[in-house]
Amino acid sequence: MIDFVKYKLDNGLVLIVHTDFSTPIAAFNLLYIVGSKNEDPERTGFAHLFEHLMFGGSANIPVFDEPLERVGGENNAFTSNDLTNYYITVPAENIETAFWLESDRMLSLAFSQKSLDIQKSVVLEEFNQRYLNQPYGDIWLYLRPLAYKVHPYRWPTIGQSPEHISRATLADVKNFFFSHYAPNNAILCVAGPVDPNEILELTHKWFGSIEPRKLANKSIPREPEQTEPRFHTLEREVPFNAIYKAYHMCNRMHPDYPAVDLLSDLLSNGRSSRLYQRLVKEKQLFSSVNAYITGDVDEGLFILTGQLYNSTTFEEAEEALSREVEELKNTLVDANELEKVKNKFEANFLFEQENVLNNAMNLAYYEMLGDANLLNNELQRYSSVTNEDIRRVAASTLDVKNSSTLYYKSKINGKG
Amino acid sequence: MTSHNIDRTVQPQRVAVSSIKIPTPDIIDLDNGFKVLVINAGSQDLARVEVIFRAGTRYQPKSLVANAAISLLSEGTTSRTSQQIAEELDFYGSFLEPSFSRDFASVTFYTIGKHFYRSLDVFADIITNPTYPQHELELFCKKGKQSLLVDLEKVSTLSRQRFFTALFGSNHPYGSFAIPNDYDGLTKTDISQFRNRYHKASNGLIVIAGKVDAKQVDFILKGFTNPIFEQCGEIELGLPSFNTTDYRVFSYKKDAVQAALRIGRVLPKRNHPDMPGLVVLNTILGGYFGSRLMRNIREEKGYTYGISSFIIPMAELSVLVVSTEVGSAFAENTVDEVFKEMLKLQSEPVSNDELELVRGYMTGQILRTFDGPFAIADSLASLFQFNNLDFGYIDNLIRTINEITPSQLLELAKKYLDVESMVVSIAGSQKIKGYKE
Repeated sequence: MIDFVKYKLDNGLVLIVHTDFSTPIAAFNLLYIVGSKNEDPERTGFAHLFEHLMFGGSANIPVFDEPLERVGGENNAFTSNDLTNYYITVPAENIETAFWLESDRMLSLAFSQKSLDIQKSVVLEEFNQRYLNQPYGDIWLYLRPLAYKVHPYRWPTIGQSPEHISRATLADVKNFFFSHYAPNNAILCVAGPVDPNEILELTHKWFGSIEPRKLANKSIPREPEQTEPRFHTLEREVPFNAIYKAYHMCNRMHPDYPAVDLLSDLLSNGRSSRLYQRLVKEKQLFSSVNAYITGDVDEGLFILTGQLYNSTTFEEAEEALSREVEELKNTLVDANELEKVKNKFEANFLFEQENVLNNAMNLAYYEMLGDANLLNNELQRYSSVTNEDIRRVAASTLDVKNSSTLYYKSKINGKG
Repeated sequence: MTSHNIDRTVQPQRVAVSSIKIPTPDIIDLDNGFKVLVINAGSQDLARVEVIFRAGTRYQPKSLVANAAISLLSEGTTSRTSQQIAEELDFYGSFLEPSFSRDFASVTFYTIGKHFYRSLDVFADIITNPTYPQHELELFCKKGKQSLLVDLEKVSTLSRQRFFTALFGSNHPYGSFAIPNDYDGLTKTDISQFRNRYHKASNGLIVIAGKVDAKQVDFILKGFTNPIFEQCGEIELGLPSFNTTDYRVFSYKKDAVQAALRIGRVLPKRNHPDMPGLVVLNTILGGYFGSRLMRNIREEKGYTYGISSFIIPMAELSVLVVSTEVGSAFAENTVDEVFKEMLKLQSEPVSNDELELVRGYMTGQILRTFDGPFAIADSLASLFQFNNLDFGYIDNLIRTINEITPSQLLELAKKYLDVESMVVSIAGSQKIKGYKE
C-alpha cells in the first residue's frame, strides 16, 4: 500500500506527494501526457526529440544539469508512445532546486538553432546505436507498421525515419512545445522524506503562476480490427534466424488487461514457464523464447518471439508456438500454475516498491491512467483473474487472424 | 493561497547535506569461515541474500568454467531436478541472479517475506548440493554458444574485448575471452572440481539485506554452516604480471554505421592512497552527465548519443575506461578530443566552481548508494570485493571529495592521464591508419 496525498492547482497541474522517511533521497517526477502517438504522421519523433531539447536550457536558466548536479541531484527522462517522463533524484534537503528547474522549462525553453542542430545529430546517433548497429535492432521499425495500419503506434518513439528528425525546424519545435507542455497536461509526483504541506507550498510557488495552455487535439484514430494474418520477411547479416509474432490486445484499463498479462507470464515468465521448459529445454528448438505485452495505454500488442537454432526451420518454430497457444485456448490452466504466476507478479510488484523513484513514477503513471490509487488496486485486479479468464483471453487475443508474423532471416546461416 | 514574487534566474539556496550516515551492518563470522553482513532495513517485506566467492574467471584452469560453476548451480541438486527448482522458486515468487567477473562469482537470491523459509531452503540447497547434470550442461553450452555468436556481432563487444586483450595480453587472465568453440570442450568434471576448490567459506561472503528478523537470519546462517564449505589446502590467489604491447588496435566489422571506442589504462588498486582522488578526477573527465567528455563530444559536437568514463576496480588493480559509440566518420576525431580533454586536465587546474559542482554531485551519488537496503548491500559487498571490508574507504572518499584541491587533481592527472600510456581500441567499418588490425 503506497500512501499519498493529491492536489490540483488552479492551472490544472496535478500534484501527488508520497512521504517515505526510509531514504535520504527525494524523487521528483514530472509526467507530461504526450508521447509519440500524439505526433503528426509527417513529423514523427518530436516527443522524443523534446526529451533531448529539454536539457538545452530554459527561459531563465542557461543550463539544466549543472545547478542540479551542484546540489547532489541527478536527472534523466524517457519517452514512450503514450507519455514523456522527466525525473530527478536529489538529497531531500535540496528538493527546491528541482522545482526551480522543472518549472522554468515548463514556462519556456531557450529555443536556439544551435541546440536544435546538435540534438538532432545526437538523436540520429541514438537511432543508429539502437536500431541499426545492433543485431536484430531494427525489428520494431518493421513489426510496428506491419501490425498497425492506422494507429500512431505504427511508428517508433524515436521517429519513423531519420528524415523526420533532420527536417524539424525551430518553428515546428516551438509549436509542439506550446501545444503539449503545459501545467494542464502534466502530473507531478514527489516522493521521499518530505512534508506534503511544504511540497504543496513549493508547487504553488514555482508552478502556480504558469498559465494553462490550449492543448493540441488529442483524438487518436482507433486501429480497425485485423481480419487476416500478415507476414513479412527480413534478411539480415545476423548469425541466427528469429521469429516475431504480434497480436493486438486490449487497452491498459480494460478489465481483461491483467488476464492477458498473466497469459504472457504463463508462457514465458521464469525458468518454469511453458515455453522455456518445453521449447528451449525439452525440444531444444529455440535458444531463447519470450512472450510479453507492450503495456501501452491504447490497444497494445502481445508479442511472441524466439531465436532459432540452425537446426530448426521457421515451420517447426511456428508449429511449436502454435501448439502452445492452442493448448491455452482449449485447456484450462490448473490452479497451481495460475497461482504461481500471480505470486510472481506480486513479488515483482513489491520489489519495485522498494525504490523511491519507482514509486514516484508509478503514482504519476497511474494518475495519468485515471487515478493514482489504481496502483494500490493492481494486486487485487491481478489476483482476481480466473483460469476461465485466461482461456477466454487466449482465444480472443491469440487468434491467427489477429497475428502479424515477421521472419528475421539470417543471411549467414539461415535456412527454412 | 500565498502569492510569490520569485526571481527565476536565481537558484534556490543550496542546503548543505546534513550528514551522510554510513550504514553499519552486523558482521557475523561462521565457524566454517564465512563472513556474513546483515543489513536490516527497508519498507517492504522483502529479503535478498547474496553469496559471493573469490571464484571469478581468473582462477579457472579452462575457459567458461567459472561461469558454468555459478550459472549451473540452479540446474539440479542431490534432491531436486532443474525443473523442480524452477517450479518451486517461481511458485514462491523468488528469483536468482548468478553473476561473475574476473575476480568474483556470486548468486543473489530475492524473496518476499511470506515465502521466506520455504524458498530459502531451495536457495541453500542449490549452493550446498549442486550436481551439474550432464544434459543441463549440454544445454548451457548450446545456448551459450549461440548467444556469444550474437554478442560478437556487436562493435561494442569487439572493441571491449580487444581493449582488455591489448592492455593485458591474450594469455593473461584479465586479457582473454571465451570464444564460441570453448563451449565444445567443457566437462562436468572441470566444473565440479572448480566449485569444490573455489566455492569455499573462507573465500566467501554472505550479504543479507531487507526486512529480516533474528529468526530469519539464524535460518539463513543454518543453511550455510555446512562443513562442505570448509577449505582443504591453500588457494593460490596471485596474478601473473601483464605486458601492454599494442597501444592502438582496430577490429573490422563490415557495414557498421557506428564505431565503438574504448580508451584507457591500468590504475592502482582501490586501496591505493591515490584512488579517492582519481575517483574525483574521473568524475570530472567523464563520470557524470555534465562531465567534460559529455559536454565536448555530445553536447558541442553531436558525435554520439553518450560517452562516459569509469574506473573498474579489480582485486589487484583498477582499469580506467572511456567508452562510447560514435558515427563511423567521427572515430579518429573523438580519440583526439578525448586526448585533448586529458591533456587539459594535466595543464590547467580545475576551476573552483567546477570542483564545487563535482563535490555536490558526488555527495549526492554517495547518498544514492545508501538509498534502501539493496543499494546498501551492493555498496558494502563491493568493499569486500575490492578492499577486504575496509569500511574506512567510504569515509576516506567522502573526505577526499570535500578536501581535494585543484593542484592535487592536476598532479594526479599528470601522473595518470598521460595520453601515451592510453590503449585505444576501435571497432567499426572504417579502417584507421596506424592502428593494428
